[in-house]
Amino acid sequence: MLRILRLPLLAVLGFTVSACATMNVSSHVEQGLDFGRFQTWQWAPADALPASDARMDNPFFQDHFQGAVERELSVRGLTQTVSEGDVPDLLVHYHANIAPRINVNHGDQTTGACYDENCNVRVFENEVGTIIIDVVDGHTNRLIWRGWAQNPVEGVLDHPQKFQDRIQTAVKRMFERFPRSI
Amino acid sequence: MRLFTRTLRTAFATAAAFWISACAPVHVNSSLERGMDFTRYASYTWAADEDFNTGDPRLDNNEFFQNRLRSDVERVLATHGFEKTTPTTADLVIHYHANASQKIDVNELDYQYGYCEDCHSSIYDAGTITLDMVDASTHKLVWRGWSEGSLDGIDNQATIEARVDEAIAKILRQLPPRL
Repeated sequence: MLRILRLPLLAVLGFTVSACATMNVSSHVEQGLDFGRFQTWQWAPADALPASDARMDNPFFQDHFQGAVERELSVRGLTQTVSEGDVPDLLVHYHANIAPRINVNHGDQTTGACYDENCNVRVFENEVGTIIIDVVDGHTNRLIWRGWAQNPVEGVLDHPQKFQDRIQTAVKRMFERFPRSI
Repeated sequence: MRLFTRTLRTAFATAAAFWISACAPVHVNSSLERGMDFTRYASYTWAADEDFNTGDPRLDNNEFFQNRLRSDVERVLATHGFEKTTPTTADLVIHYHANASQKIDVNELDYQYGYCEDCHSSIYDAGTITLDMVDASTHKLVWRGWSEGSLDGIDNQATIEARVDEAIAKILRQLPPRL
């Protein structure tokens, strides 16, 4: 009986872990602000943040990313300002980078998941891409929302279709957290 | 009912924060310029905005994080009798800095003596917050306090705010007495 139960449990556990491992999405928000009063938005000049990576800062990325953001904002009833003179209610900044992250195997002897007989700790390094979206109040110039998505880039950057899918998913999931419903 | 849910949620968040911080303790320390008479400082101002580059893109130029940190510092300094004034009249200029990096903890893995029951190595994001107090007239550093702790849970706004509150409280508790 126990053994029968153990398998689905492991499967569920495995799924949860891998779901976490694929993409990490979250956000911070200015509390107590009425996001319903904003009507218009525009792209802000690109941020001069450190460690920008050419693999994610290129026309391919920009096209797909900006398209996805424009779509998410438009379904939320926000219009992109047309003329230069208009001050938009919201300014949208974004930043993308790739940074190395390290990971260790857990050296777990109980389940026998060791890499060698001495159960030495192994350190792995992989690269993680981060996209940050900052939404700034166009009138006060204060940051009111920041969303981010982080995903390992291995096997993603070399495959345009996969890269594109990952960008769409990232933007979609970030804006699911934006405090203004569709 | 709503209040109950909220209480429950707070309790849970506290428990979670405690559990995480139990793995990676908060280290706090400070250093004071030798022979410094700290009682002669009564007012402060913030240093001009610098690029807030932390090593973690989620915290780089994150105004929510910075505002929380500043308002925490201002609240505690007020209780110490410090007055926030303009840059021209302040005795002290306060700089702050935050840094994030990954740490590996393999302390629990001791196979040599066979102590290991639930052996595992772990990896976590460590964050350091540093506060510098600089004499406004001599431009010399008079006091530095810092706190290092886990940043796991940074994705959750309430958790990171609680971490900042805790770190600032602990750092400023080390300020020399002013009486």
